[in-house]
Amino acid sequence: MRRLELSKIIIYIILFLSTLTVLVPILNLLALSLTDPGKAHLMSGLDIWPKGLSFINYELLLSNPLITGSILNSVWITVAGTFLNLLLTSMAAYVLARTTFIGKKLVLLFLIVIMVFEPGLIPEYLLVKDLGLMNDLNALILYKAVNVYYLFILMRFFQDIPEEILEASRIDGAGHFRIYTWIILPLSKPGLATLGLFYGVFHWNEYFRATIYISEPAKWPLQVVLRQFVVRKDNTAIIGSQNDLFGGAVSFDFASLQAGTIILAIVPLLILYPFILKYYAKGALEGGVKD
Amino acid sequence: MKALRRMRKDWVIYAMLFFPLLYFVIFHVIPLYGMKLAFQDYRILGDHVWVGWKHFKVLFSSPAFGSVMENTIIISLMKIIFVFPIPIALSLLINEVRSSKYRKYVQSVVYLPHFLSWVVIAGIWISLLNPTDGGVNLIANLFGIPSVDYMTSKEHIRWVFVVSEIWRSAGWDSIIYLAAILKISPGLYEAAKIDGASRLQQMIYITLPHLYSTIVTVFILNLGFFMNAGFDQVFNFMNDSVISVVDILDTYVYRIGIGNGQFAYATAASLFKGTIGIVLILGTHFISKRISGKGVW
Repeated sequence: MRRLELSKIIIYIILFLSTLTVLVPILNLLALSLTDPGKAHLMSGLDIWPKGLSFINYELLLSNPLITGSILNSVWITVAGTFLNLLLTSMAAYVLARTTFIGKKLVLLFLIVIMVFEPGLIPEYLLVKDLGLMNDLNALILYKAVNVYYLFILMRFFQDIPEEILEASRIDGAGHFRIYTWIILPLSKPGLATLGLFYGVFHWNEYFRATIYISEPAKWPLQVVLRQFVVRKDNTAIIGSQNDLFGGAVSFDFASLQAGTIILAIVPLLILYPFILKYYAKGALEGGVKD
Repeated sequence: MKALRRMRKDWVIYAMLFFPLLYFVIFHVIPLYGMKLAFQDYRILGDHVWVGWKHFKVLFSSPAFGSVMENTIIISLMKIIFVFPIPIALSLLINEVRSSKYRKYVQSVVYLPHFLSWVVIAGIWISLLNPTDGGVNLIANLFGIPSVDYMTSKEHIRWVFVVSEIWRSAGWDSIIYLAAILKISPGLYEAAKIDGASRLQQMIYITLPHLYSTIVTVFILNLGFFMNAGFDQVFNFMNDSVISVVDILDTYVYRIGIGNGQFAYATAASLFKGTIGIVLILGTHFISKRISGKGVW
């Protein structure tokens, strides 16, 4: 009995330490971003409580047009992108899951071929160039307007709606578009929420396409600014323009500002996290995909 | 004639499919067709000129390609050996937790990194591995290990990939195993308990064998993406000090293609990678279907 308890305690401790590896680095950045810049040098990489609470880093970041503009760009890409994703994906999913028509098998085969044959980066880049979408936020929305894997997941959600309901409305003379808008969509809220989170997280976190397609800093989404600032350590992009503005009146600490930018990029995910846990995990399992 | 009449009657269906299919044609089919650039010379004005296998010959004889292939294979192998087993172990540990509150806490926290962008993850790890006051070095110092600048160390950077990949994906990837564990009949454990089996014995003789087919399926599906080796991770963790040991096929294509504008040559490299990828994916799909009935699609 005693040995059994011991192994249980060890397991609890291992799992607790695992959660610390996730929590401590994030809390450390949060604490650093909330620390008075004058005391930032006192913060070590393991401190999770700010020294001399101060919001000056966020005041600086949120008064910087590059940061605020990039947040707006990210919000736009995420909202507009997810809306278009859901619209196109749900229409295709309804048609493919709940109707029969000539050519359906061909369309399904086409989608599987699309899944297997991923085009390379360069032809896509040249296409975006040819379409005149360089330096255009729409490129980031359009290049992944429908994700085939997600389409198949939504088809499974739509297939779960009982046939009798659709049959009843068909007898009432409802056409396909009416069934789609009045029956399928309202009855598939969990499925749409799941897909909305899949797509939303994808858009919010997207940085690579923005890196190669958007060269004008004013159009960068937050992830690209973050990459420039934190990963490429290009301080001038953010602070250089601000140096004069504050005229040295406010002392600032680069590491703290970097930490604050990382936190800004995480906050929306944390706000949505309860929903993510509720829908995303379930949807991913039911869809049988890993991403 | 009859078919035509039926299609006309179903026009709404085709209308609803129009934009989704138009998207796939523009952003998938056209770029797929555009891969023919691998056999051409790129011209800004006028038609591209067919050059046959020229770019592939240059590619296969270039020393950069050799080291890029080597890095891709080594990094992928390291991840399969050291990253792949962790979610399995984690699911077994989580399964031993009886308190549902503690279990929920652990799961909620370890899933989180999966939802962070690779830029954020790179930011977190750059700070964590900071040689002066990063958390990892502070803890290492406690054990008498001197500080190392892991991000710029050729010896360590691939291990940074392994560890940060575990940090990001182990929690999330344990879900699929936890779901498989939940499907095991509780009666089996009851019977084992009556026979006096310890928790460890139950884990080894009941849980693990029931996970076997899931493990094999996930392993095979992972093999299908072997040539990827984690582009986003390398792209964001890479710096000039370590580029020679971390440059993989995808980052190479990016650098010579988008960076240097050698579009045709980069397309050849990417077509080479894509071809291996398709062979692996189709191969693993059919193997997986045969073994477990579950395919890639």
